[in-house]
Formats: sequence, C-alpha cells, structure tokens
Amino acid sequence: MTNILLILFIISLLYLSIANRLVTYIRVLALQGFILFGVTFLALEEINTLNLVLILLETVVFKAVAVPVFLSRLIKRNHITREAEPYLPNFVSLIITTVIVVVTVLLANSIKDTHVDKIFFIVALSSLFAGLYIIASRKKIITHVMGYLIIENGVFVLSLAVGTEMPMLVNLGVMLDIFASVLILGIFLNKIGDVFKDVNVDQLSNLKDY
Amino acid sequence: MLSFVLIALASLFFTGVIIRTKSITAGRKGPGIMQPMKDVIRLMKKGSVYSRTTSIVFRLAPVVYFCTVAMAALLIPFGSSRGVISFNGDFIFFAYLLGLGKFFSIIAAMDTGSSFEGMGASREALYSLFAEPAFFIILGSLALLTGNTSFYDIFSALHLGSYITYALAVLAALVLAMIAMIENSRLPIDDPKTHLELTMVHEVMILDNSGFDLGLIIYSGYLKFAIYGAIIANLFMGGMLLPWALVVFVGTQFSFAVVIGLIESFMARFRMNHNAQFIFALSSVSFLIFLGVLLVLGKFI
Amino acid sequence: MTGLFLTGAYTIGGLLFVNRNKRINSLLLIAYEILLWGFTIFACFNYKHTELDYFAFDSLGILLLITLSIISIPALIHSHLYISRQGEKPQSRSIYFAAMVVLLTSISAAYLANHIAVVWIFAELTTLSASALIYHHRNKLALEGTWKYVFICAISISLVFVGILFLSLSLNQAGDKDLSFANLMAHSQELNPFWLRLAFLFIFTGFTAKIGLVPMYTAGIDAKDKAPGPAAAILSSVLMNMGFVAIFRTYAILAHTSLYHWANTIIFVAAILSIFVATVYMMKVMNIKRMFAYSSIEHMGIVMLGVAAGGIGFYAAILHVILHSFVKSSLFFQYNQVYRVFQDKNIYHSGTTSSITPPGLWFFFLDL
Repeated sequence: MTNILLILFIISLLYLSIANRLVTYIRVLALQGFILFGVTFLALEEINTLNLVLILLETVVFKAVAVPVFLSRLIKRNHITREAEPYLPNFVSLIITTVIVVVTVLLANSIKDTHVDKIFFIVALSSLFAGLYIIASRKKIITHVMGYLIIENGVFVLSLAVGTEMPMLVNLGVMLDIFASVLILGIFLNKIGDVFKDVNVDQLSNLKDY
Repeated sequence: MLSFVLIALASLFFTGVIIRTKSITAGRKGPGIMQPMKDVIRLMKKGSVYSRTTSIVFRLAPVVYFCTVAMAALLIPFGSSRGVISFNGDFIFFAYLLGLGKFFSIIAAMDTGSSFEGMGASREALYSLFAEPAFFIILGSLALLTGNTSFYDIFSALHLGSYITYALAVLAALVLAMIAMIENSRLPIDDPKTHLELTMVHEVMILDNSGFDLGLIIYSGYLKFAIYGAIIANLFMGGMLLPWALVVFVGTQFSFAVVIGLIESFMARFRMNHNAQFIFALSSVSFLIFLGVLLVLGKFI
Repeated sequence: MTGLFLTGAYTIGGLLFVNRNKRINSLLLIAYEILLWGFTIFACFNYKHTELDYFAFDSLGILLLITLSIISIPALIHSHLYISRQGEKPQSRSIYFAAMVVLLTSISAAYLANHIAVVWIFAELTTLSASALIYHHRNKLALEGTWKYVFICAISISLVFVGILFLSLSLNQAGDKDLSFANLMAHSQELNPFWLRLAFLFIFTGFTAKIGLVPMYTAGIDAKDKAPGPAAAILSSVLMNMGFVAIFRTYAILAHTSLYHWANTIIFVAAILSIFVATVYMMKVMNIKRMFAYSSIEHMGIVMLGVAAGGIGFYAAILHVILHSFVKSSLFFQYNQVYRVFQDKNIYHSGTTSSITPPGLWFFFLDL
C-alpha cells in the first residue's frame, strides 16, 4: 500500500511540473501532505505511540492544512497574480521532471543494500531534485517557497526510510520543517510583500557586484 | 473469432451511447442509439466526389485505413479464446498496424493540397508520436509482469492479486482510456463537434472525403473505439469463464462509452499547446507503471 | 558547565530582547562576556572531557572557542559604538544585541558538539540569528540580502539533513545507532561506503553555505555586504569557522576509510573552484565589503586546499583559519571607521584616508 501512495506522490510531482496556476500548486502540496500522512501511518507502526502521534499530527495539521491555508492567504494579501510564471515552457519542465525520475530510478538500481526500501529513496531524491528545479525555473518568489516545501516533503520521505530505527531523526526532520517553513513563510514573505510591489525574482537583483 | 464478432457488435452501439449520454446530460432526449450506424449506411449509399488535385493515394487511403483497423481487431483476444491472429509479440504488430492506417490517412490529407488539412495532419502526427511511448511502455510492463509477449498470453496470465497489482491495473486502464481518446480524436484533445478548421485535428483531415470513403473512415473510427474498449476489458477479465467474461466485456464497453460522453459534456478542449504536455504526461505516468511493475516483480526491492 | 553556559547565554539573549534600557543593555553584555570567558577557561582546563553526552572539549573546538572569545570582545564594543552613533530605536538595538548573543552562543556550542545532529541544530540557530542581524537596517537592500541568505541557508540545511540521514543508513550496517563523531570514527571501517559517499556529498554541499565554498557561497556574499560592520565581522570570521569545523569533523571520519582519496578530490575541486571564482569577482567589484566577502571565500578555499593536502597541511589549515579570523574581523571593524569618514563603500571614492584619519590607515595596513 505504501508503494501505491508513493507512486501517487511521484504523479503529483509530474502534475506540478505542468501546472499553470498557483492554486494548483497549493492543492498539490495539500495532497502531498495527505499522502505523507498515509505513508507515515503505514510505515512507522513499530515506533512508540507518542512519537507516532506527534509525527502524524505534524503531517496532517502542518503540511496538509496549515501551510496551504497560509499560502493562499499570503497570495490574497499580496495580490499575487494567478499564474506561475516559468522561464521554460511547461513541456520542457515535464520532460526534465521525467528525466529526473528516470535518473533517480537508475541511481537507486545501483544500491546493493537490502535494508532500505528503494522506493523511499527514489521518491525522496526525485522530490529533492524536482523541488530544486522548480525553484530554479520559476519567476515568482512564492513559487520558490513552494519548491522549498517540496524539498522538505522529499526529506521527510527519506527520514521515514530510516524512521523505524531512529525515530529521533524523524522528529528532527519535523522540527526542521516547522522551524524553517515558519521562518521563511511567516516572516519574510510578508515583509517582501510589503516592501516590493511586484513579487518577482527580478526585483531581487538590486544587490549586484558593482 | 468470438472477440472479432463481439468487437464488431460493440462498434455498432458505441458512438450511439456516447451521443445519447451527451444528450441526456444536456437535458435533451437525443437521437437513437443506432443513429450513427444509420448515418454510415446512408453515406455508403452515396457516390464519392474526388478533387482534381488528388492522386491515387487519396482514393487508396480510406480503404487501407479500414483494412488495417479491421485486421487489428482480429488480434484482440477475449478472455480464454485467442484472437484470430495471435503470435508472440503481436502487440507490436497491433501498434504498427494502427500506425500504418494513420500514416495513410495523414498522407492522404496532405495529398489534397489544402493547407488546413496539412495542419491537421501535422497535429495528428504529433499527438500520435507522444502517445506511442505510453502504449508501448504499458504493454511492455504487462509483458514483463506476466513473462509473455502476445496479447492472449499476457491477458490470460494476468492475475490481479495484491493491492499494488490492482492499483497498477487501474492506472493502466486509465492511461489506455486516455490513449483511446487521443487516437480517436475525442475531447479533451480534439473536439469532434467543432466547425472551425483552425481548431480541428482529425476532422480537418477528412474534410475532403465523401460518400463511401467517408462512411468507411467514420466506421473505422467506431471500430477503433471498440478495440480499445476490448483491450481495457481484457485487463480485468483474467481467466474468467465465458458468461462472466461477456458481462465484463459489455459492462466495460458501456461504461467506457458513458464516461467518454460525460467527459465530453463537462470539459472543454485543452489549449493547443497544452495538448502536447498532457499527452507526454501520459508517457511519464506509464513510466511510473513500469516502475510499479518492477517493484511487484521484486527486481527492485 | 555546558548546560549552565547555554541556558545562561540564551537567557541573557532573551533579556536583551525585551530590555529597552541602555544601562541594563551594557550590563547584560558584560555579564555575557564574563560567562563566555568563564566557559572558555573551563573548557581549557577540562581538555578531552565529554559533557552532557553531546559536547566534547577537543583541541580543535577549544582553539576555535578561544578565537571566538577574543573576537567577541571587540565585536561587542564596536557594536555598541556603532549602535550609539546611529541613534537607533531601542527596539532595533535590542534585537541586534539579542541576535548577536544568540549567534555567538550557537557558534560556540557548534564548535564543541560531538554529535552531528547537534551541529545541525546549532547551525540552524545561527541561520536564524544571522538573518536578524543582516536585516538590521530594514531597507529594501537589506531585505533582499536577508531573503537570499535565509533561503539559501535553508536549502543547505535541508541538504545537510539528507546527508545525516544517509550517514545513519551507512551506520545501520555496522549495527549501531549512535551518530556521535567518536562512535562514527570508531566504526569507520564498517560503514557502508556507498551511503557514506552520498552522505559526505550532501553534508559537504550543505555546509558550503556556512563556510563559503563553491556550491553555496552566494548566501554569504550579500549577507556580509548588507550586515552592519561588526555583524559582518562575526559572519565572516567565526561563522565560517563553524562551517569549517563541521566539514572537518565529517572529513575526519572519511579519512580513516577507503574513501579518503575520493573525499580529498571533492574538497580539492571545490577549493580550487572557490579560489578561481573569488579571484575573478574580486577583480571586478569596487565595494569594499563585497571585496572582503570574496576574499573570505578565497581564504577558505586555501584552507580547504590545506585540508585536502593532508600531513602538514592540516597544521597549516588550522593556523590559517585562526589567523584569518583575526585579520578579517579586524578588517571589518576598521572598515566601519573608513565608512564613517567617507560615507561611501566604493574603493575609488575613498582615497585620501591618510590626511583624515592617520591611525585608521595604519591599522588598515597592518591588517592587510
């Protein structure tokens, strides 16, 4: 069952590469939060209950509900336009994301360790690189933040792969999530929205080597 | 033989169900289920008009198209009975038969010398190009899963046991349905009801055909629908006994037609440049199906 | 003592944050300095002990801690002068000093950490406090610099976390669970090389944001440009040392395994590229602070070259790290005086320092 959920996760990554509107990005992030909730529930049954409840709460409340709500309020408050403006056409993004998944599968093939579930490794690395690609190929600052959230989702999946052995690491990952996301989203995006009229990355090129 | 007869029967009713569903969702009563066949028979009674700029290719193409589609229908098995033609690797033969038919219709469209038809032909070629990897990857994954390479052997050895094989079969069925809609030029790729040549993909290719030729081409379209519906039904038939297999077959064809009707009622066609990425997304998803099959086989733990 | 130091320092930071009075501000800072020096002296006397399971007083940590303590004194004095000259609001002053205290504490804790996850936590804390420092002036350029710094550091911290996960996977094969450096070094022969390779790649790439080497150095450039002078001094000397400590400790684990030469190659490539990039950019920029920032990158590249060379290179690298911290921080401190006179960061505009502030000029030359 975890395999199905993780394949759904990769399909959501592919969908994200061709999505046009910011609302779609937010919905996909919420969907990924729910998928991760399911995966956590199925994969981490052996650790003690308190840790498990904490992690479950974090995925559902934070990733699936709080962050999407916060992002949509941010979009409304800063009057950000609907489109996610990419530098490359969506078709090229789709090809690049597919290539990322293929390369990750090939890389995972060369692992000879049987302790780890390779599908976790594939999903984690694909989301990591896909998130980096989304950051690099979009103009708006808010899509940068969404790319970072996708990277965080990937890191969370990887921490689930080692989670049964070392639950503290999963907790640390959770902390990273909350801390960094709250900082980036909460404080700075509001400030940027107030100071810069147009939340494009082009506005952020005033600090030059002069 | 049984599958060929069933596919031929299904093709008679398929488009009728689609049109009826669209009418009911629009609140109308709609034409009868046999109406599209009556249109085809009416067209076949008429004579054809050939333009002076066309050559033998234009007159040959509809016949070749129909023959390839009919021959492709001979390949499909039905539950525990083989297709009329069945050998190892026949799904590749199947894909290339349909490709041959499409090739002839494309060059016939370009033969007319009209730029509209050339435009439609190039679009049609592009969409088939992107849909081809999806089809091959899915059938290749199924072949890998069962270890056989002919349609009949694949489908009869396909045992849907665990969660993941069910999920993969459902996903494969979805992708095959999308491929069917692409190949038959339905929404959301191509609107069969549009009357603007600039927005047509397949309709514009057959703009110059008339009479018996047009009847053949339209009927081949219906037949292709029935073929793809039969493939999807076969995914779930496994090694069932005859009565149950019949029920699954009829049920699948009917629900496929209803779903197509519903999609056509509620969706608009995608923007032209979104079409290409949608079709390529199907290929990416089929790659994920391949990955899932590798997981199931344990070649990849 | 470590627990006492950490709780005391963070409490002082919290008090500085809520306090608005100038006198209490200075008193709290003096108290912090006493605490810091007390901790340093305690660490010197307790060489090779391990406290609280996660903090070990080893030689590298103590050396860098002494450096930090020495640099923190002029840093706080210069900050005090800088803030009082600017005539800032009490609120921004309190945020500045609170962030400075938190930054110094987190860095010193990271120097002494024995466990890689603890280093990671304190690195995250330094990102937060450094961003508060960079944003001190609250204008558009400062916001831009802060955003870039926070974003790139956040991505790098995630990459380091991925590296830590891979490290734990490589330890799985040895059948152990403790990720402290001592334990990893003890089991270094049994670690799975594939995961160890990936772990080193990710940890190295992540921490180059802190140390200022090729993949992620861009975070630091704008940060040091826009931070106020004393804060930039801390960022470019002691913070880079923290990155160095983290990378060095991870490298030390690999040095005992069969991946030693591969790790050397990676560090070598990154170091050469950093030196190259820094040199090219330094020839182009005219802003003094940016030049200092690129020069920090170049120096760190040289340091990592020393580490990659091995043997006597280790000794040279650590020597260079300590000396560079002193020199670079004093350059930044002195730069503030130059800026005060000329009100301009462009090197072509600030030419006749000798006629205006002779002592300042002599100090500058001595530093260089």
